[in-house]
Amino acid sequence: MAHMLREQGFNAFVIVGGLAAWKKAGQPLESVPGNDLVKLPTFN
Amino acid sequence: MHDFMALIERHGYLLVSSIVFAEAVGLPVPAAIGLVGAGAAAASGILHPGLMLLSVLLSMMAGDALLFVLGRYTGWALLGVLCRVSVNPETCILRSAESFYKRGKATLIIAKFIPGINTMAPPLAGSMRMRPWQFVRLDFLGASLYILAYFGVGYVFRDFLATITHGLQTAGRAMEEVLLLAIIGYAVYRIWLYRKNSVYRVVPRIQVEELARRLASENESNVLIADVRSHGYYDPGAARIKGSVRLEPNNLAEELKNFPKDKDIYLYCT
Repeated sequence: MAHMLREQGFNAFVIVGGLAAWKKAGQPLESVPGNDLVKLPTFN
Repeated sequence: MHDFMALIERHGYLLVSSIVFAEAVGLPVPAAIGLVGAGAAAASGILHPGLMLLSVLLSMMAGDALLFVLGRYTGWALLGVLCRVSVNPETCILRSAESFYKRGKATLIIAKFIPGINTMAPPLAGSMRMRPWQFVRLDFLGASLYILAYFGVGYVFRDFLATITHGLQTAGRAMEEVLLLAIIGYAVYRIWLYRKNSVYRVVPRIQVEELARRLASENESNVLIADVRSHGYYDPGAARIKGSVRLEPNNLAEELKNFPKDKDIYLYCT
């Protein structure tokens, strides 16, 4: 996906290790806001 | 060619079912040709039509169900692998996702007739949390339509196909060599495509510590962290990196319209 973004002119990078690495490093997290949960496309 | 027909006669059910299953799980094999051949063989009395249809239907649905389940639990990881060998990987995932947005669940019924989307539809449906029983119903309809279409062609035009195979037999060894060269050429092309698209592995990366330093510095306003998980947003209480925003992978083209090009964007998944 980062490559896709760069092809479209965005300055995109990838965080090594993702969310797991962020948590392991003790960096701050937050709960996903309720309105973000609602917006997700699903086949309900 | 005579050996191939003898193979069909001895192992037709297993052979055609295997080809259909292989295509359903994303391998580059022509299931349509196998189905046409099965239809012709059934019309000739070599294979039992009902048994053949049942066998290939179950094989196709098994392959689709496997990708559905894998898509549900791996999200875009599987979709990225499947798209790696497509002609245009960049648009492969986007085109498949957009098809669901435009046509909804009905995409599963017609997906098998659309190159590029046929293999992507089941794992995408899984990733988008389609209910399993709903997937089974729609996949059954789509698989039945696809199988009946090509099987029917082979069944109805059996004589025409027999003329072609007789012609190929007459051409004998020369045709076998041409066919072998064509298969080798196709395999080489797919390998080349796969290696060409390995460029997707080479993207700029950043370690967590370095990003944390950037966020703590005065350049924080130039930083945007985007969550590209296809999962993790379905359950209340799910966590994400503080200050990050959601970038919905199934609706990328639309969401990128609102994304800034003057900031550094750091992507993460699980």
